Amino acid sequence: MLYLQILVNGLLLGGLYACIASGFSLVWGVLNVINILHGSFIVIGSYVGLLAHQQFGINPFLTVPVAGLILYGFGYALQRGVINRAVGQPVLVTLTLTFGLELLVNNTLILGFSADYKKVTLENPLGQIELGAIFIAVDRLLAMVLALVLTGILYWMLRGSRLGRAIVAVRMDREAASLMGVKVNTIYAVTFGLGALMAGAAGSMMSMIYPISPLTSTAYLGKAFVICVLGGLGSVPGAIIGGLVLGVIESFGSLFFSAELATTFSFVLLILLLIFRPTGLLGRRGYE
Amino acid sequence: MKKSWFECHTRVVRLAHIAQVFGLALVFGAALTGFSAGAVAAEKTLKVGAPLPLTGPLSPEGLKQKEGYDLWAEQVNKTGGIKVGGDTYKIQIIYSDYQSNTPRAVQLAEKLITVDKVNFLFSPFGSGATKAASAVSEKYGIPTIAATASSTAVYNQGYKYLFGTFTPNSTLTTPLAALVRQKMPNVKRVAILARNDLFPLAIANVMNGSAKKSGFSVVAFEKYSIGTLDHATTLTKLRATRPDWVFATGYINDLILIRKQMRDVGLRVPVVTMIAGPAYKEYAEALGKQAENVTSAAWWHPAVRYTGGPVFGSTVKYNELFQAKYKKIPDYAQASSSAAGVILQLGIQKAGSIDPKKVRDALASLDAKTFYGPVRFGPNGQITSLDPPVFQIQGGKPVVVLPAAVKQADLKPIK
Repeated sequence: MLYLQILVNGLLLGGLYACIASGFSLVWGVLNVINILHGSFIVIGSYVGLLAHQQFGINPFLTVPVAGLILYGFGYALQRGVINRAVGQPVLVTLTLTFGLELLVNNTLILGFSADYKKVTLENPLGQIELGAIFIAVDRLLAMVLALVLTGILYWMLRGSRLGRAIVAVRMDREAASLMGVKVNTIYAVTFGLGALMAGAAGSMMSMIYPISPLTSTAYLGKAFVICVLGGLGSVPGAIIGGLVLGVIESFGSLFFSAELATTFSFVLLILLLIFRPTGLLGRRGYE
Repeated sequence: MKKSWFECHTRVVRLAHIAQVFGLALVFGAALTGFSAGAVAAEKTLKVGAPLPLTGPLSPEGLKQKEGYDLWAEQVNKTGGIKVGGDTYKIQIIYSDYQSNTPRAVQLAEKLITVDKVNFLFSPFGSGATKAASAVSEKYGIPTIAATASSTAVYNQGYKYLFGTFTPNSTLTTPLAALVRQKMPNVKRVAILARNDLFPLAIANVMNGSAKKSGFSVVAFEKYSIGTLDHATTLTKLRATRPDWVFATGYINDLILIRKQMRDVGLRVPVVTMIAGPAYKEYAEALGKQAENVTSAAWWHPAVRYTGGPVFGSTVKYNELFQAKYKKIPDYAQASSSAAGVILQLGIQKAGSIDPKKVRDALASLDAKTFYGPVRFGPNGQITSLDPPVFQIQGGKPVVVLPAAVKQADLKPIK
């Protein structure tokens, strides 16, 4: 029974991890940009959820689309106006650029919202489902479902829609796509916007689950890194699989060994994977 | 068409410049606000250095300390400064932001002493950084007051110039364990969950001893690493040991998450104690009803009632002045920081000099009353005269349940 509960804990945690990582994976995979801003995007999404709850009493699950759209706009503008200018450069240049932008955005958040930890606590908490001795936190379950749905939509969009095919085409061969009439810069901006949208949506959901502060952005970013490498870079289902695998492994790691070693585990795993399967669990060359 | 390498490069450089200018503006802005509070024109100025984590993960704590120091300095300067012999000194506090990075705290402590030529020093935040920086002030013989360090490991280094305003950790856990024993005889099994960090782990270890001494059985002792994003499995493990009392240590973000996840995994117990976090109003605000009846202990609480000492005169007066300046109720971190100033002032007045050696000797033999409580230091420099209150969140506010002299309510179980 204990093992089943630990498995459930791991899957629920994995769902959150998938939420955290999917947008990051998309941007890295398609744009070849390591977006250090991703953690701050999630935090902004959380503040959207927090403010909507404080001002209007709206449940943060309902502000998911709002947070997503705001972040889409922000991400689109940022890519169009700033990052596109450096996007063809080696990855270290764009990494430095997003790192610098992260410093600006994160410190602005600290100035605006202070570093104090806040949290959305509902008047009537969603509570838990009790199946015998198994407890399932409803908010985590909903977050997991939403992560799966959003990632599913993203996956379908990349495979089935004209825009999605254009994104994949740009990923495969930028010059050829450009010759076929694809507006490369627009596609880049849309993709970055989509990555930010996923982060914002995740952040809004997580405003009920995690304490909110600009300072949490680095923790999210660290997890996103591990999950992406674990699942395979640029693979959308990889982010889900990577998230779930990491969640389950961390949970059983804390059970069998100790919680203080859980983070160590995830990084040992990462190193092993980089040695034996550098493409990640679902990663492959090219994209989709 | 491909842009030339040069064109792209200059664009990137230009961007970097813009970013740099913005960054500099931020830094200057921060520096100005940091310094303006302490900068006062006076014939004689006493400089006190304060390396603090004003940005980064510890900034909520660093800003609290700054509020405490600023209030003290402002009140001293408003009332004419500190009189020493024929001279009057105004206070200037020189802040240095160590960005929550302990090695930098040590460097900045040294810079404050050697470059800024401060007369005295206030320690950085927490036991870890205080211990690290104390080696520097000892080397230069600069009397240093630590406002937020409690672990005995900080004071047992044989240093002469370090004085701390927090009593040892056991003074928090021993009365708490005795109180729960007395009021709730059915509570027998204690589970401890500790952040693997200097102070949180130290106080968890001390609690382990206090609980056993009071006749509890400690059924679990788990540690979690800094930056843990999930406690579900650890709490499930604790649940399996059927505890009556969960004692969790960490900082406010950890403790908010742990309290929330206790509910998620169905860990329901009549007594939940968390250190340190519930003393801060942000804790109860973030958790709402889930914060109700969580117990904690701290070195000071606005409900204590002490009188005496310069500047503030009494706890009541201190609370008033603090609320007038910051529009909020002080907690122990802010009060302890103001007390650090008062203690330094008492030491200078007693010594009748600002000579570091004389002030150090005066502090070592100090026996005074302040708004913060009576002040006497043990031979290792740690305060011995405080009677730290135990409190519980009731109706969304922390109320004192011990000591009996300042008690505001009785200890209640969590339903």
